[in-house]
Amino acid sequence: MSHNSSAVQSHVAHHFVDSEQQFDAAKFGMWIFLVTEILFFGGLFAAYIIYRAWYPDLYTMASTQLDTTMGAINTGVLIFSSLTMALSIWAAQHNDKKKTGIFLLVTIACAFAFMVIKYFEYTHKFHLGIFPGEAYTFTGIDHPKAHIFFSIYYMMTGLHGIHVIIGIGLIFWLWMKNNKGSFNSAYYTPIEIVGLYWHLVDIIWIFLFPLLYLID
Amino acid sequence: MSTSSGINADLGLKLKRFVTPDHPEVNYAQAEKGIKAWLTTVDHKKIGLMYLGAIAFFFFIGGLLALLLRAELWTPAKTFLDADAYNQVFTLHGAIMIFLVLVPSVPAALGNFFLPIMVGAKDVAFPRLNLLSFYIYLAGATFSLYSIVTGAVDTGWTFYTPYSATTGTSVVSMTLGVFILGFSSILTGLNFIVTLHKLRVPGLTWGKLPLFCWSLYATSVIQILATPVLAITLMLLVMERTLKIGIFDPALGGDPVLYQHFFWFYSHPAVYIMILPGFGIISEIIAIFSKRRIFGYWFIALSSMAIALIGFLVWGHHMFVSGQSTLSSIVFSLITFFVGIPTGIKIFNWVATMYKGSISMRTPMWYAMIFLFLFTIGGFTGVTLGTLSVDVHLHDTYYVVAHFHYVMMGGMLIAFLGGLHLWWPKMTGRMYNERWANIAAFLIFTGFNMTFFTQFILGAKGMPRRYYNYIDQFQSLHQFSTVGTWVLALGFTIILIYLLQSLGKKGVIASKNPWNGRSLEWLTTTPPVLENFTYTPVVIHGPYDFHKPIAEFEYGIESHGHGHHDASVHHSNEESVNA
Amino acid sequence: MSSGHHALSFKVLISTAIALAVLTVITVAVRSIHIPSPFNIIVAISIAVVKAYLVVMYFMNLRNDSRFNLLSFVFSVLFLLILVGLTMLDTMFRVPIVPGF
Repeated sequence: MSHNSSAVQSHVAHHFVDSEQQFDAAKFGMWIFLVTEILFFGGLFAAYIIYRAWYPDLYTMASTQLDTTMGAINTGVLIFSSLTMALSIWAAQHNDKKKTGIFLLVTIACAFAFMVIKYFEYTHKFHLGIFPGEAYTFTGIDHPKAHIFFSIYYMMTGLHGIHVIIGIGLIFWLWMKNNKGSFNSAYYTPIEIVGLYWHLVDIIWIFLFPLLYLID
Repeated sequence: MSTSSGINADLGLKLKRFVTPDHPEVNYAQAEKGIKAWLTTVDHKKIGLMYLGAIAFFFFIGGLLALLLRAELWTPAKTFLDADAYNQVFTLHGAIMIFLVLVPSVPAALGNFFLPIMVGAKDVAFPRLNLLSFYIYLAGATFSLYSIVTGAVDTGWTFYTPYSATTGTSVVSMTLGVFILGFSSILTGLNFIVTLHKLRVPGLTWGKLPLFCWSLYATSVIQILATPVLAITLMLLVMERTLKIGIFDPALGGDPVLYQHFFWFYSHPAVYIMILPGFGIISEIIAIFSKRRIFGYWFIALSSMAIALIGFLVWGHHMFVSGQSTLSSIVFSLITFFVGIPTGIKIFNWVATMYKGSISMRTPMWYAMIFLFLFTIGGFTGVTLGTLSVDVHLHDTYYVVAHFHYVMMGGMLIAFLGGLHLWWPKMTGRMYNERWANIAAFLIFTGFNMTFFTQFILGAKGMPRRYYNYIDQFQSLHQFSTVGTWVLALGFTIILIYLLQSLGKKGVIASKNPWNGRSLEWLTTTPPVLENFTYTPVVIHGPYDFHKPIAEFEYGIESHGHGHHDASVHHSNEESVNA
Repeated sequence: MSSGHHALSFKVLISTAIALAVLTVITVAVRSIHIPSPFNIIVAISIAVVKAYLVVMYFMNLRNDSRFNLLSFVFSVLFLLILVGLTMLDTMFRVPIVPGF
């Protein structure tokens, strides 16, 4: 796999020998960043697991307040967005600028759909008085630690939601760059590394869904 | 030159000898001029120097706070600060020294400057990210300083819940500051790992990497794996204060010991973030000033990795009296002893390197000796404290304070000074006054032991840490310790003066290899040129092969590809070895 | 030389997505059978692990990637397990110091 065309070389920063080295370095850097993301969320997963081991009943009772259908739909939406993200790389590898753009737009649309569904879930809970922390006023769950479950729920889904929003920004940036014709089969590093990020956001949801919604 | 011809065949490269002159016509600092060029530079050397300046500034602040709190302890109860102010002073001293000085000190300043040169690269893998990490550091520092203005923090640098969740002081801005500093630390670590993996020059195998690079690699791995957990913990603490989420605060149904677990999952490995780069510097110094190939290269290299790994399994030894389960206390105590093994391996290998070596006691070597002495005491008292039954008595006494100052200051800071004196000529092109440097080293050694050895005695007698008041019997020991801090301050002032003086008009110009080293940073000009080398170095021998003639280290290939070349250095002496 | 430039296959991507969708349906459906605890958690997490494996190996294309990328991913999971495991060594084995407190 040699990339010796001048179009390729123009993307190579001065301190790299060639495009291959630069691509590998960028990708490795992104994977290391993903490691930090996994451990960042990891602290919340640890808190979740420890409290679940302490109060299994709480989790069973509180989880009934979460809407499984909406959670399942969101899972599907994110999986589909992961597919379109991967397909945009596939299209870029085939020098298909138009398809790359379409797949990126579909990914953004899915991310928005995810956030809209999340919005309805949140507002429904707020309506019932299910807030994080001190503002929690819901009386439907007969457990002294009920507010802690929802604190963890809001922290986990909230942090995930922030990552989705950041993802929307990044993918939109890719779309703009793609419109300018920045990507081709020899250079698509930004799509590749944003793609890795986006798939990680998907993976975290893949775990959040059964852990929060599917308890009985 | 039969050896080199053999190497040519091995690497499949057409090698040439490049003899760089001592001084370039245009060095890295002259290549881009003006304040703006400094502030927007992506050159790892300038970023390293900016870090060095910032770290020196915060060390000065943290040091002043230390002088202040030692002075307050001159008499029991109030000397000149009230109790609340005293609590804030020791908290700020701890937080600034740990998060703003020790964690970034060697990696971000010396590591940034030398790691790319040592692997022969033109820069780190992500230069813009490197600059970004510096500005993130400044932003985090600003938040931390802002907390001083808005009422300071009195929780201790550990921010333990539930006190930190309820105290009225500005915990939020301080924890946000530390949270932001964490990102800076992560970006530096990420950059180093990728640089070490992807940007090494031909011939520089993992087995020929200078040990300083190995230690930075181990450090970066810890930064990547541990820092995010601190970040999320501090986020939860902020949420605990603002939304009262109740995960850590027992009044809201939470568990405060859980906070301690999460906090020490980062903060114990962070101790190794602070000390491992120091080990790397000591390896370099001892090899160079003993002029002997380092004893047990792979043992030293891999013991850094072993310390990094085991360091993640011992955090519970900070929590023996916190109310954690007896089972976990026993397990954590047991695993703690294992950290002693790789650390001991290092100490023995350093001593073995010096054995029958041609030792020259120049300033960096004095610091290495001070390091060995102080760090060994710090290490042994660490094992004492890791013993469950002993710790129950010594926990939260001055014994602990003395222990971690022997490790952090006697170990890391001394190593940092050693590294600074080793590389100062390379960084600035100037040589400092060694007579004054040795006097300062002696003062620091004396002042340090006066200050902190006293505290071992105080702690063993039962003086609790962080206390504002104490019984009269302790007064003479406290005063002796305080006098020690003045000797320390004098030592640091002398260092500041002669280092600044070396930059002035009377400063002595340094040659490119004043200590006769063998790793790549000694082969480029002093100070280095913008992209470090005017050719691509090819590494044939190990970094400690002092028995090989220096000429055999100067081979390389013409830099190819594109990018701007600094034409300022004229290859006055190129000869082909293929002949 | 490990090369990250590995061409993706359209077919493989679509099949992965279909597999993920099927697994999502299964994990929701399994809930109505009411598997007794703790096996319900084990089943739910196992399915999630398989789904994550598919995303990592096919969407993120780690199966064709540098082994250091794989290694860093494995290490992150390993250290997360250390965090959870050693913390639970405390939280699961606490004895009230003062009985009845």
